[in-house]
Amino acid sequence: MKEIVSVSLENDMDLILAHKRVMKLCELTGFSLMSQTSIATAISEIARCAIEHGTEARLKLGIEGSATRKFLTAVIEDSVDFSFKCADALSYAKRLVGNIEVSKNQPGVQIVLQQMLNFPGTFTPNKIDSYVEYFKNEAPLSAYDEIRRKNLLLQEFADKIKESEDDYRTLTDSLPLMMFTINNRGVIVYHNKWVEQFVGSLPKEITSPGWQNLMSPQDFPLFLKTATNALQKIIPIKGEYRLKEKSTGNFVWHLLTMIPLKNEKEVLIKWIGFMVDIHANKLAEKTLKDNVELKEMQESLVQNKEELQAKIVELNRSNYELEQFAHLATHDLQEPLRKLFYYIDTLKIKYTGLLDARGLNMLKNMEAAVSRMKELITDLLNYSQLHQRKLEFGNVDLNETLLEILKDFEISIQEKNATIDVDPLPSVWGNASRLRQLFSNLISNALKYSKKDEAPHIQISVTEHDRHFIFNISDNGIGFEEQYSEQIFGLFERLHTRDEFPGTGIGLSICKRIAELHNGHISARSAPGEYTVFQIKLPH
Amino acid sequence: MDDDREDHFILQEYFADVNLSHCLQFSANGKAALDLLDGLPPDNLPDAIVLDLNMPILNGTQTLLQLKRSPRYKAIPVIIYSTSENESDKRKCLSYGAEDFLIKPSTYEAGMKIVEYLISMIKG
Repeated sequence: MKEIVSVSLENDMDLILAHKRVMKLCELTGFSLMSQTSIATAISEIARCAIEHGTEARLKLGIEGSATRKFLTAVIEDSVDFSFKCADALSYAKRLVGNIEVSKNQPGVQIVLQQMLNFPGTFTPNKIDSYVEYFKNEAPLSAYDEIRRKNLLLQEFADKIKESEDDYRTLTDSLPLMMFTINNRGVIVYHNKWVEQFVGSLPKEITSPGWQNLMSPQDFPLFLKTATNALQKIIPIKGEYRLKEKSTGNFVWHLLTMIPLKNEKEVLIKWIGFMVDIHANKLAEKTLKDNVELKEMQESLVQNKEELQAKIVELNRSNYELEQFAHLATHDLQEPLRKLFYYIDTLKIKYTGLLDARGLNMLKNMEAAVSRMKELITDLLNYSQLHQRKLEFGNVDLNETLLEILKDFEISIQEKNATIDVDPLPSVWGNASRLRQLFSNLISNALKYSKKDEAPHIQISVTEHDRHFIFNISDNGIGFEEQYSEQIFGLFERLHTRDEFPGTGIGLSICKRIAELHNGHISARSAPGEYTVFQIKLPH
Repeated sequence: MDDDREDHFILQEYFADVNLSHCLQFSANGKAALDLLDGLPPDNLPDAIVLDLNMPILNGTQTLLQLKRSPRYKAIPVIIYSTSENESDKRKCLSYGAEDFLIKPSTYEAGMKIVEYLISMIKG
């Protein structure tokens, strides 16, 4: 090392002198003000220790190295080893200056600090001599001047920091993203202007419940959980959340990132956070997804349409077959029946004398069987016609309809000694003959399923509800178990044996179909041995 | 004329009961009936023709039209004899010149009335 100047380290004034000389040498050798301060502070730290704990310590400053790589070097030596008492000072100095070596030479110690020179020119021996010369002619030290100079320097630094802080703020404020800083206790200590502009004020802490007001309710629980977990485990956060825009009240998708910053000892210092608007991306993503779904839906629609088309063709065919069947039923089935009736009648009239009582009984059974078949065919034909013919609708006065029906049942009503109470009824929009069939079937049932020991009492009433007429046809007949109230409307459904009550099981199916053809509905409720009520709901 | 052999049989029975079965002649369709009529001498044409509507080859209405267009047959009364009383069929047949529209019987009594009516049309 080419020594330039040295300072003996004995008292506080020596410390000031040491600091001043280091600053000066750094300045002469081309270090920036920041580096001058760092190096001077590092050396002063160790010098301070040496003054406090050493006995005859000395600081030597000089330049060392080859022609191309040169170092500013400071050597602090003492005849006793004080280094073990200044571990803190050493570690602080190490952070400021890269290269510090402590070598113990019993019983003394030598501490060497080196900082590479970044001098633009070359260090000629003349130049180094000029430095030596400078320190020889140095003015004597005035503590007051030194302190004043130091204060001015500090002020200059403070201004620089303030300026750099302003730069940082301007920079962060002009970035199109929200930034914030959270200290190691989770308190938000800084945020840029965008935060205020977008969400208004942030809550005090990252886990405050106040975030609830800034975020979509769908996203908040996940955010709270994630943030709490991240703070606990000190791990970064990256997630997509909808933040509420203060000015519009809209929720806008943001990518929220929070990164923990740690010192060299891996201790958390603070968190820095960003929130970036990703709404456009999110929308594009969603649109793409929707497009795919739309496409799929379109495909399935096309497929459904084809299936529907196939079903329609099939339905048309089966409708055609039904028509064929109806024709078969009217003509080809009825014709043999007519002949059977004719033969039975002719046999009874022309050949009674030739048959014994058992033969006549068989003839009677035969007639009953044929009658049942005729009834079945007629009902079935009625039912199938309901499915294929388009009904002509008009205004139907149900009072007239009921009068006609009661006339039809006149004999039966007399035989059974039945009373029938009919409320004044409204006119409805529908098909006259089908509505007549509907009420006729229900009254016929009420007469048919009456009790043997009690005269039938049938009541027909009407109420209005929700733009519908609700007709109740109630009787005091044998009724049925509630569980059958749906089943009875099924085709061929019967609750009684033919011996008890003859019938085909088609009548109520016809009623149901007629109600549906009028955009209405029929239902039944009953108590066995007490009553049955059929309810018909027809639109106004 | 009727394609239903049983209807032949039923009418035959009634006519046999009054010993008039020789007055009847049957055909299974319009075509066969017209052929039969064409083969008869002009002085031996039937007093009345009983015509079913639903027949193969030449049906009732077609046969009726041919009969009424023919100078040789148009004076012979034609009685339509059908299974069901279809109003439009009935109107059509009467407008074509049918004498009457009867429904096939489903009781002995109804059959008897028809036969009495038919017998009343036999000349001599």
